[in-house]
Amino acid sequence: MSQGRTLTFNIFRYDPQEPGDKPKMVKYQIEEAPGMTVFIALNMLREKQDPSLQFDFVCRAGICGSCAMVINGFPTLACRTLTSKYPKAEITLMPLPGFELIGDLSVNTGKFMRELAERLKLWLHPKADEVDIHRIEAPMAPEEAAKLYELERCVECGVCVSACATKQMRDTFVGAVGMMKIARFELDSRDTRSVEDFYHVIGNQDGVFGCMTLLGCQDNCPKDLPHMQQIAYLRRKMATALV
Amino acid sequence: MSLNNKKNLSGWLDMSQSLSGVILAVFLWTHLVLVSSILLGEDAMTFVAKTMELSFLSEDGHGYPWVVSLIAIGVGLLASIHVLVAMHKLPLSLQQQRALRQQMSVINHGDTKLWVWQAITGVGILLLLPVHLWLIGSAPETIGPAGSADRIWNQGVWMVYLPLLLCVELHAAIGIYRVAIKWGSERALNSRDRIKKIKTIVSVVFVVIGIASLLAFLPYA
Repeated sequence: MSQGRTLTFNIFRYDPQEPGDKPKMVKYQIEEAPGMTVFIALNMLREKQDPSLQFDFVCRAGICGSCAMVINGFPTLACRTLTSKYPKAEITLMPLPGFELIGDLSVNTGKFMRELAERLKLWLHPKADEVDIHRIEAPMAPEEAAKLYELERCVECGVCVSACATKQMRDTFVGAVGMMKIARFELDSRDTRSVEDFYHVIGNQDGVFGCMTLLGCQDNCPKDLPHMQQIAYLRRKMATALV
Repeated sequence: MSLNNKKNLSGWLDMSQSLSGVILAVFLWTHLVLVSSILLGEDAMTFVAKTMELSFLSEDGHGYPWVVSLIAIGVGLLASIHVLVAMHKLPLSLQQQRALRQQMSVINHGDTKLWVWQAITGVGILLLLPVHLWLIGSAPETIGPAGSADRIWNQGVWMVYLPLLLCVELHAAIGIYRVAIKWGSERALNSRDRIKKIKTIVSVVFVVIGIASLLAFLPYA
């Protein structure tokens, strides 16, 4: 049992808003409590040791995706990472690479996600004559709903984007989150977009044909979404559309 | 459904990269198995070399060494296509290299490291393969236990072949692993871990066969 250990946190500190501030790693120590997560530890550090420490959180239950950060080299959610996982009691925290830094461990994933949604048109495109708010919505087959739900589990935490070296090298690459969401609408029978429409959005170097299958997305996604299978499915679909 | 707008080349480029890579890997492994006939002795190697020159089609049994030159040209062309399409994926600008270094310094990810090795060995092959193809393509009649042994050990070409062997065997196995998961051959039965294990075994086995074959030429030098 890890109770009673002293945890050492090495935390990336930098406030771009503060003139003259330089990026640095700062060491903090804290007593470990039973069932402690990195998120709980960060809150305690902020409460008791350093109120200027910046990091994001909302739900503390792995649902909002706000507290994603790089923990000992692995991008994941702080609220779902138990400190007992680290036998050496040393934990290094870095902000997710590839996003605009707000300060310390806080990055602007929201701005990225919004721009991505607007660029890829990540919303349902129903038939024009089907939009009738007075009519009862047509039922969906449970199997189809289950498939869509599986892909809807994405919490937009940004882990797949920061874990993807392709995305870091090619700024315009849509990343696994973009492809996952496209796959979700491609599977939706209510969406009127054709393969050709999707091809124009992700059938290029910024989409499936630019993905190098490095699988940082698959290996780090905190929601265990099937990125590898999904991107392969889209790639086959787009390739079949060509021939 | 087929697309009206086929001007977008990226799909074709991606498919050509995978396809040319698979053909080159299959050729590579076949080639190494044929060369390893030296492990079975002088006669086996001579038989393979003559058969590759289509000796069974010529009346005097000497065959046509230019067939080997043609194969070398074909491999060179295919490798060129592979390089041209694969180059689009490499971090060519300083900015991209900096971004990659920065990300890899923060995030620890095995398959990304594997890809870096694939890129490094790819550049190694780009430098070494033309030498190999030129040596073989320009003197195909010398292929055989004595001729090859002379080339490898007396003329010092082992200094090209040894690094080339290590580069291609890593590059090809990692490449086939990536192609398999890229196009979705990953299923419950042939899981990614299993494919990855097979990849490592294939690399090791072929490097061992390759080094053993190079050493087996020593007595004929």
